[in-house]
Amino acid sequence: MKPEKLKILLADDDTDDCIFFQHAVNEMQNTPELTIVNDGEQLMHILNVESTSLPDLLFLDLNMQRKNGFECLLEIKQSSRLSNLPVIIFSTSLEQEVVNSLYNNGAQHFIRKPSEFLQFKKILHQTITKHTALRNILQPLRENFIINITN
Amino acid sequence: MNTGQDKADNELIHANIELAFQNGEKEKRAAELIIANKELVFQNEEKEKRAAELIIANKELAFQNEEKEKRAAELIIANKELAFQNEEKEKRAAELSIANEELVFQNEEKEKRAAELIIANKELAFQNEEKEKRAAELNIANEELVFQNAEKEKRAAELIIANYARSLIEASLDPLVTISATGKILDVNEASVKVTGVPRKKLIDTDFSNYFTEPTKAQEGYLQVFEKGFVADYPLTIKHKNGTLTDVLYNASVYKDDKGNVLGVFAAARDVTEQKWAKDLRIANKELAFQNDEKEKRAAELGIANKELVFQNDEKEKRAAEVGVANKKLIFENEEKEKRAAEFVIANKELAFQNEEKEKRAAELIIANKELAFQNKEKEKRAAELIIANKELAYQNEEKEKRAAELIIANKELLAFTYISSHDLQEPLRKIQTFGSIILENENDNLTEDGKYNFKRMQLAAGRMQQLIDDLLAFSRIATTELKFETTDLNIIVEDVKIELKEIIQEKSAVIESKQLGQANVIAFQFRQLIYNLISNALKFSKPDRPPLISIRQRTIDGETMNHSRISSDKNYSHISVADNGIGFEPQFHERIFEVFQKLHGKEVYGGTGIGLAIVKKIIENHGGTIVASSQLNQGATFDIYIPE
Repeated sequence: MKPEKLKILLADDDTDDCIFFQHAVNEMQNTPELTIVNDGEQLMHILNVESTSLPDLLFLDLNMQRKNGFECLLEIKQSSRLSNLPVIIFSTSLEQEVVNSLYNNGAQHFIRKPSEFLQFKKILHQTITKHTALRNILQPLRENFIINITN
Repeated sequence: MNTGQDKADNELIHANIELAFQNGEKEKRAAELIIANKELVFQNEEKEKRAAELIIANKELAFQNEEKEKRAAELIIANKELAFQNEEKEKRAAELSIANEELVFQNEEKEKRAAELIIANKELAFQNEEKEKRAAELNIANEELVFQNAEKEKRAAELIIANYARSLIEASLDPLVTISATGKILDVNEASVKVTGVPRKKLIDTDFSNYFTEPTKAQEGYLQVFEKGFVADYPLTIKHKNGTLTDVLYNASVYKDDKGNVLGVFAAARDVTEQKWAKDLRIANKELAFQNDEKEKRAAELGIANKELVFQNDEKEKRAAEVGVANKKLIFENEEKEKRAAEFVIANKELAFQNEEKEKRAAELIIANKELAFQNKEKEKRAAELIIANKELAYQNEEKEKRAAELIIANKELLAFTYISSHDLQEPLRKIQTFGSIILENENDNLTEDGKYNFKRMQLAAGRMQQLIDDLLAFSRIATTELKFETTDLNIIVEDVKIELKEIIQEKSAVIESKQLGQANVIAFQFRQLIYNLISNALKFSKPDRPPLISIRQRTIDGETMNHSRISSDKNYSHISVADNGIGFEPQFHERIFEVFQKLHGKEVYGGTGIGLAIVKKIIENHGGTIVASSQLNQGATFDIYIPE
């Protein structure tokens, strides 16, 4: 029996990052089905269309046009239909206060976009594999919120 | 015996010589005495002069003492006077404030009194008018009374005339009778009494027809008179009480009042049994008719006169009653006027008194006003000074506000810079690194060794720039974030940092000892950064051949025991020390290491941006504390932190 493909939604307005992400996903075994949107409004629009099935994982950039990632996270966690969707924050900068706020508002993980493509792939693979294995929608402990590269 | 004589001579000679010597001595002594005497005389004179001078000096002193005593007495009196004047002034001030209140009260009272007087004057004017009206009414009443008296006299004269007519009727031998419209007898004469045998009083008010043999005919008779105005020679028979009958002929006519209304019937009966009197009767009838006319006129006049009298009497009574009332009213008003006058007198006295008081008060107020004017000037001076001071302050405030506004703008700019460096600067840098890594990975075979090396150098440079941005960001955040102090357990902070640094700790097999750590009042987020920077610093500058040993201690010390310019002696401080066994540094660099971008080692040996310890210093300054670094090269380093408890 062929396992169902994992569905991943990426919301990021940065073309380069979207390319990196697509490359990294393409190199995975059992390549997940990747959908990309480029701003927060598009994201919320896609999520709010009842007929489409929800993705298994959402990778959410913070700094986006029209509606930023933080606003999207609040909307998702306040919606009874969407609140169980695991949201993985995917951002350039790492500020403790911002990270705390994201954790308190129900984000699943925080990933700082790595500058090495190898690390980029590695961290993405780790995260997706971990999620596929555990299918855990519960929030991890605070100390495990930020995902670092483990060698 | 010569010898004896000689001996005696010798003795004499010696005695003379002795005497001569003694005389010489005496003369010398005398001369000395004279000199001594002169000296004594001179000294006495000097002493006398001195004594005289002393006497003068004593007198002068005595005079001065007296003057001083006088002065002292005068000063005592002056002091008493001043004290008295002060007391008087205080009293006067108290009196003036009372007087002011009193004046206000009196002014109010005077206004009330004036208002009352105006009302009283109006009342008096009204009463005078009323009295004049009453007097005019009395005059009219008196004139009326005079007129009524004249009328009464006229009536009396008329009554005399009426009595005369009555006696004429009585004198008639024929029975005469007056009948009312209902047939009742109104009046009769003596002849009627004789012919009926019934007294006059019993006849009056009985039916006329009762006294005839044919009452119905009698009735018809007088009804005829009422119809036609008269009847002539109407035959009837009068019935005497004792049964005697008298045939009579009645001549009757109506009589009227002055307005022509029929009052009744006047009837005269002629006894026809004795016709001999017929002629006389005719004459008598004429006479009677005349008399009747007269009587009717008189009666009509009397009716009018009576009515008039009744009316006049009523009027007189009314007038009298009115006069009585008017008199009472006048008496009352006079009394009221007297009372009012007495009140006026009292009110005038009161007003006069109040005026005097007011003048006194006014004089006092003038003085008080002068004083107030003086105080006002002083206050104005003060006010002017204050205005200048206020302007100065306002100017300074404006300057401060400008400065504050500038600072706010500067802070905003700084925050904007922070944001730019946190995101917009990092974003392209990260892309350079990522694309570089993709090239290195995918195109590795196509690159020469030189190209690979240069690419790696480029990547390292980009990595350093990323670190620099991160550190600068942290540094500016320390300067701009809110300082929120809270009691924090340092053990938790150290444990957190150990978790964060666990990889490098494991890698270097480092040992971190933290003993006797307790709580501290710190900005938790910043203090965590401080501990992180110090521990990672110690790990970084460890000796390659020895595992790092870092020990953290905390204790409370009295500021007095420290001799440091940034530590105040009246506070207790929390002393936290972080010591390591690393490479240390030369002692002369103990201050320089805290400056931004200051590094003691080349970036190839020990990475880093030279910002970490600058952040540490900034955080300690935010806590109002100080940090001291001490070390010898290759002998580890100790960082001592002091923050107020």
